[in-house]
Parts: sequence; C-alpha cells; structure tokens
Amino acid sequence: MRKSKSLTQKALTELGRDKLAMISFAIIAAYILIALLIQTNLLNLPIHDTVGESYEKPSWAHILGTDIFGRDVFIRVIYGVKISMSIGFITTLIAVPIGIVLGALAGFFGGRIDDFIVWIYSTFSSIPYLLLLLALALVLGKGIFSVYIALGVTSWVGICRVVRGEFIKYRERDYVTAAHALGAGPLRIIFRHILPNVLPLIFINASLLFVSAIKAEVILSYIGVGVQGKPSWGNMISDAKLELVGRGVYWQFLGATCAMFIIVLAFNIFSDALRDSFDPRISNKTKER
Amino acid sequence: MNSGILRYSTYSIIIGLIIAILSIGCSQRGKSLGNVYRYPMVTRVKGFDPALGDDIYSHISIKQVYETLLQYHHLKRPYELVPLLAESMPTISEDGLTYTFTLKKGVYFQDDPCFKGEKREFVAEDLIYSIKRVADIKTKSTGWWIFDGRIRGLDEFRKESQESETTDYTRTVEGLQAPDKYTFVLTLTQPCSQMLYFFTMSYTSVVPKEAVDHYGEEFLNHPVGTGPYKLSEWRKGLRLVFTKNPEYRKEHYPSEGSEEDKEAGLLDDAGKELPFIDTLIFNVYVESQPQWLNFMQGNIEVTGIPKDNYNQAINPDKSLKNELADKEINLNINPSLDVTYTFFNMEDKTLGSNVHLRRAFCYAWDIDKNIKLMFNDRAIPAHSPVPPGLVGYDPDFVNPYQKFDPALAKKELEKAGFPGGKRLPTFEYLSNDNTTARQWSEKFVKEMGDVGIKITVTSVTWPEFLNRIKNKKFQIAGMAWSADYPDPENFMQLLYGPNEAPGTNNANYKNATYDKLYEELLKTTDDEQKSLIIKKMKDIFAEDCPWIPGVHRLAFGLSYSWVKNRKYNDISPGNFKYLRIDIDKRNELLKGK
Repeated sequence: MRKSKSLTQKALTELGRDKLAMISFAIIAAYILIALLIQTNLLNLPIHDTVGESYEKPSWAHILGTDIFGRDVFIRVIYGVKISMSIGFITTLIAVPIGIVLGALAGFFGGRIDDFIVWIYSTFSSIPYLLLLLALALVLGKGIFSVYIALGVTSWVGICRVVRGEFIKYRERDYVTAAHALGAGPLRIIFRHILPNVLPLIFINASLLFVSAIKAEVILSYIGVGVQGKPSWGNMISDAKLELVGRGVYWQFLGATCAMFIIVLAFNIFSDALRDSFDPRISNKTKER
Repeated sequence: MNSGILRYSTYSIIIGLIIAILSIGCSQRGKSLGNVYRYPMVTRVKGFDPALGDDIYSHISIKQVYETLLQYHHLKRPYELVPLLAESMPTISEDGLTYTFTLKKGVYFQDDPCFKGEKREFVAEDLIYSIKRVADIKTKSTGWWIFDGRIRGLDEFRKESQESETTDYTRTVEGLQAPDKYTFVLTLTQPCSQMLYFFTMSYTSVVPKEAVDHYGEEFLNHPVGTGPYKLSEWRKGLRLVFTKNPEYRKEHYPSEGSEEDKEAGLLDDAGKELPFIDTLIFNVYVESQPQWLNFMQGNIEVTGIPKDNYNQAINPDKSLKNELADKEINLNINPSLDVTYTFFNMEDKTLGSNVHLRRAFCYAWDIDKNIKLMFNDRAIPAHSPVPPGLVGYDPDFVNPYQKFDPALAKKELEKAGFPGGKRLPTFEYLSNDNTTARQWSEKFVKEMGDVGIKITVTSVTWPEFLNRIKNKKFQIAGMAWSADYPDPENFMQLLYGPNEAPGTNNANYKNATYDKLYEELLKTTDDEQKSLIIKKMKDIFAEDCPWIPGVHRLAFGLSYSWVKNRKYNDISPGNFKYLRIDIDKRNELLKGK
C-alpha cells in the first residue's frame, strides 16, 4: 500500500522542483563545506603568509591580488567564509533555543508568564542592536567569542515573537484540547504536539537570522570591535576604506563584498523558497493563488 | 499586492536619491566661511585637566585655554624660550637653585560661574596652587616626574597628601614662595638645567583653585584659563569648538625672526594683536581617509599625509604633486624630534625577567618593512631613544637588537628557555582601534608568530589605551614620544625607574645603573659631558631591551595657502593664536570648487 505523503514531504518535493532554490542551496552547502574543511584543518589556508609584494594587482597567480603585507586576498576571502559561517551557525544555535523556549512558554501559558516574557523582549528590542552589541563587545572584550555571545543574545527576539504567536494560535486547537483531556502535561504538549507544527516557520526564521548574523559580523569587524587578528570580510572592507580612495586598491573590497553578496543572496532566495513550500498561503508566487 | 511594496520602495529610493544629490549640491556651496580655523584631531581628546595633559592631543587642546609662565618663540630656531605669563625671563641665582619670576600684571581668568560674577586676576599664588596640585597624589597627575625630588619641600607635601584624607593646600612649601602678588620664587634642591623648559609644559599651566573646587571631578570637562580661547562646545569624539576669549590681554605677534621667515611672510603681522582667529574648530577624525578627503575638499585647513595617500600627494623626489600644488596647497617637511617604540611591561613576570625573550621580540620585528609600509620611507630606524637634532644623537651608534633576523630571534627564544616557543604563554598586544593600528598589530602578530611567539591583540580607544598603560594593565604596547623640550634628557627620562607608571616610563623599566647615570645627566650642563653619559645609558638600554626600538619620523604636513603665519613647532604644537586666515582667498578658492 502506498503511503500518502506528509505535509513536510510534499513541501520538500515542491522545494526540490524550484531550480533557483536548489542552486542557492548548493551555494550554501558549498560555503558550509568550505567552512567545515577549514574548521577541521583538512583545508589549511596560509592566511598569514606573504606571497608577493604589497598591493599586487589581481593576476593568474593571485586572482584577487595581495594586500598591504603581500598576503593573498583570495585565500583571505575564503577564510572569511569560515568566520562568517561559524558566526552565523553559533549565533543561530544560541538564539533559536532561547527564542523557542521563551516564545513557547509565553504563547502556551499566557497570563503573567506571557506578560513577563513580552516585557523582556520588548526591552531587548527597544535597544538599538548595534549599541547593545558594542556594549557587550566592550564588556566581554573584543574577539570572535564576544561576537558569538553578543549576536546570540540579541537576536532571539524575532524568533521568540513568531513562536509565541504560533503557540497562541495553536493552543486553542482541537488536538491540543484533546491532548489536555488525555492528561498530557504542558511540556509534552508544547514539545511533542505543538512544536513540530511550528518547526517549518522556525527554520525559515533561523535562515534569515543566519543572514543577519553574517551581516552584523561584517559591520562589527568594520567598526573594529569584531574579529581580531584573523581575516574576516568586515576587516577586509575596513582595510579597503584606507586603500580604495588612496591607492585605488579595489580587490580586497571586491572579494569581500562579492563573497558576502553571494551567500546573503543565496540564503534569502532559499528561505523565500522554503517559506513558499511550507506555507503556501503567504507565498510570493502567483501560481499558488 | 506584494508587487506594490516593490514599487513603493523603488519610488522611495528615487526620491531619496534626488534629496541626497540635492543636499550634496547644497552643502558648502555658496556658504562663505568667517574667521574660522578648522583643525583635524586624529583622536578623541581625554580632557582639559593640565595635570593630566601628557599626550600631544590633550596638550594642543589645553594650550588654547590655559597658559604657562614661558613659551617657545614662534619663529626662532633653534628653539628659544620667551616669557608668556611671566613679565620677563626669570633671574637665576648663581648657585642655580633660586629662580625669581616677575609675573605679568592685569592678566585675568576667563569669566566663569565658579568666580560668581567677579573678575579674577592671575597672581603668584595660583601658580603655587597649580604646582602643588600636580604634586598632590590624589590628583593622579602624570606630570609629577618633572618636579620629583627637584623642588625644596614639595616631596614632603606629596607624602603628606598621600597620608591625609584631604590635602592641605595651605601648607607652605619652602621651594614655592610668593613674596608679593606678582613675584614667584622657586627654590630647587639641586641645579636642574631643564627647569625652565618645564614651565612651557601643560603641567605647569595656571589653573584657578575656584574652578577645581567648583567643578570637582568635572573639572576635566570645564577648562577655566587665562589663554586666548575659551572652550565653547565639546561633542566628545566629534568636535571641539573654541571661541576667542574676550578678556584676553594684549599679546602681540613677534617682530623678530630670520631672513627666511621674513621671505616666507612670517613677519607680515609683526607687532599685531593676538589672536587673529575668532573660532577654532577641532574635528575628530579617528580614521585617516575622512580626514584626507575633507582636506582635499577644503573642509579643514591642514593635514598630515596618511600612508595610503602618500603616492597620490608626493612625487618620488619628495616634492608635492602638481594637482595639489594647483589647489594652492603647501607642503612642509620637517624632521620630528620623536621616537616610536614598542614596549614591554617590565613588571610582567615572564617578560620582565627574561632578557633573551625580549631580544627575541626585537629580532623578530621587521623594521624596514615597517618603515616602507607604514611610513612610506618617511622615517629612519631608531637605535636609541634620542632622535637626530639633539645632543647625544650619534648616527654611528648601532643597537645590536635593532635588527630583523628571525634566525637570531629563534636562537634567543631557545636561550630564553622556550625553544620554538614551547611552553611560552600567549602575550597580549594592546593596540588602538583604528584601521591602521589594526594593520600594524596584524604585522606584529604575524612576525612574532613566525618565530614561535603567540600574540593576541586587544584594541581600545586612545583614552582607554593610555588608561591601561598608566595602570600597568598591559603586556606589550606601542607608542611614540615627541620632545617636550629640546633636551635629550626628555628622551632618557622615558626609562628612568622612578618615572614608572603613571609617569612617563611606560615600560616600568628599572635599572639602578641607568638611574644613577640619569641623575648625573640632570646635573650636567656641558654638552660633551652629556653625550658621554648618554652613550653609557644607550648601551644599557640596548642590552636590556625594555623596548623594541621603532623609528624617528619625518613630518610631512600639508596646508592651504590661505593659512598664514604657520611655522612648524614640533615641541609645542598647536600655536593657533599666531595663525591668520586669508578669509577672502579661502572663500574665493572654495567657491571655485
């Protein structure tokens, strides 16, 4: 007997048919692969090695030229992939659980708990995130670790809101009432019954969060409180602000912005497609109307 | 529906662009500038307390508001001292111990709420108060080193200020006397050939007691002085605005100068009343590119040349490029009396106790590459603290550790007990928070890493940077020292033990023989004798390696031709009271843009 497809399976099939989304997914996968290879030392990049004169123009030997200390810019751009992906990944890893747990508790229980959690995230979201990040980076000291923490603890608000909204919607549904009647405890209802229904939305939001974490890292490194002593796209753009006008050295800028542009675009297209396939009601595509 | 969002945003982008273009077109054009001097500050300023004025940026800001007894002649070189708040140069007793200053009469502090509406004249007691304030341990002055052990009775005053809860400023100090309102008598413990120079430094600026009491902690932000300008606006990290002090007494532009000065038009305003300019605006540009672009737009009057713009501005023969000369920009090249250095905190357990480790650092640092990349060859390697142009500088003196040799560095590391960097802890390099400083620290990390020394970088703002060094909370950091006065002693004191933090001995270096030689140097007036002592001190310095010696710089400055009366003063920069702006010329040239 053929089993009928579940909603998730249907959505995934739908996603698989979207060529643009698949290309985006391939790009994301390639970035992740590069990051993993560097992280596990399988790909050992000579980021600190001097390979030529300072500010050599792009050539076949160094396709993105060299920087002030004669280091290969292309290698540094590739290394930047690891920094960005790790920041995106760890930030998401910190922010998503916080967002889910707080959002679920607030949405499910309502009342005082809801008031309290709404108060917390309203307070957080009322502080301009860049200022909060700066303050945290100054307190925790600069470096990649602070960026993880700072971004992680500031970016859960969006997910928390979404999850709370969904939980408010679902807690009145029949199957939840039924579960109540059968004597299931609140934790079981939250995590076994409601959460699986909210997961697709969480995935979509997490992928958007990933993108904003990458962008935030670049901004932080650009203003000098981000990654220290390692090549990151933000640091390279910060170098470029000296070199671009003064020396006409465009290749650091080009390399870093292109690398960032591609991954951000890929993530955006992919999360759009993800949303379309999981939640046809809010789709951008007319054919589904 | 959704496409509407796109259309809306397209419209808004177009409208935004139009507004932006229009506003760019509107700025600057058609506006004519008044009698304003716009000066670039390369870092945010710490504050206006003269007792804490140890960095050049504070000094430049402080001297607009506060004044000292003496100053350097605006035009004469070699540098010559002339009176400022003093009526004339002091008389010095034959034994060199007693200095008698006659003070100018009719000098008033600027109007300020702390005087409760009364006019307040400057008298000798103010000077005594200001010196006691530097000596008071509670002020945490960075300038105690200039008085330490030199003025009769002042050390006892300092000691008592440490022991008592509130410092008793009425306590008489034997060496600081005011027989009448306009006479100040200074008595030293031993002759000191630098003493007069100290009376040009921020530390000896005259501050009124009323202001210190009135503002308390906030005194740092409320300067009240006798100087040519008043602070009228201070947006931290952005801008400082000074306006002409209406109470300023009649000071005049000098009438003496060399033939060259005359030819350069520096004597055109001889005898005219100072200051010429109504408003000074210091714009803070932490990054070099905004400063450069603003200069090229005519938004500031002067600038240095950032390393990345050097090739745009200067020809290989070190002359100015035509494009800049056509814009009526002048180039001034002057050797600086300065030294740059990277220093170790000698109180750090690992760094302080292991000379081989420090030598390894020295050998690992590629100085030539540094000069090429960071200074565009506008510097020479420093082998000792003393720069060319001062007694004691010897072009043939070679510091064996001022050399880039990674192989030797590795050997020294082995001798230090850390072969290949094994078991060596990671060191923290304290840096500033601008891009050039980050590039510099990346070079440091890389070169040390190449020989096996691991470094992490912490970058902080300039005030925080100074703060950490003054509190000995660092391991390795880099700094430059510019001469306070034209005497090599000013450079040798950077390593004198008792000058340790919060004094100027940033490395907290202590060597008994060096200290003894330094004390001998203080008493010496004969140049040849001085050279001999300095030679010995340099040898000790080289062997002990408390610093990775850096460079002596050549200062390249650009200014627009509408800025008149500008004369390079390396020792006490910021003499804006002499400057004059050709306002019509500036407006005309800026309009042409």
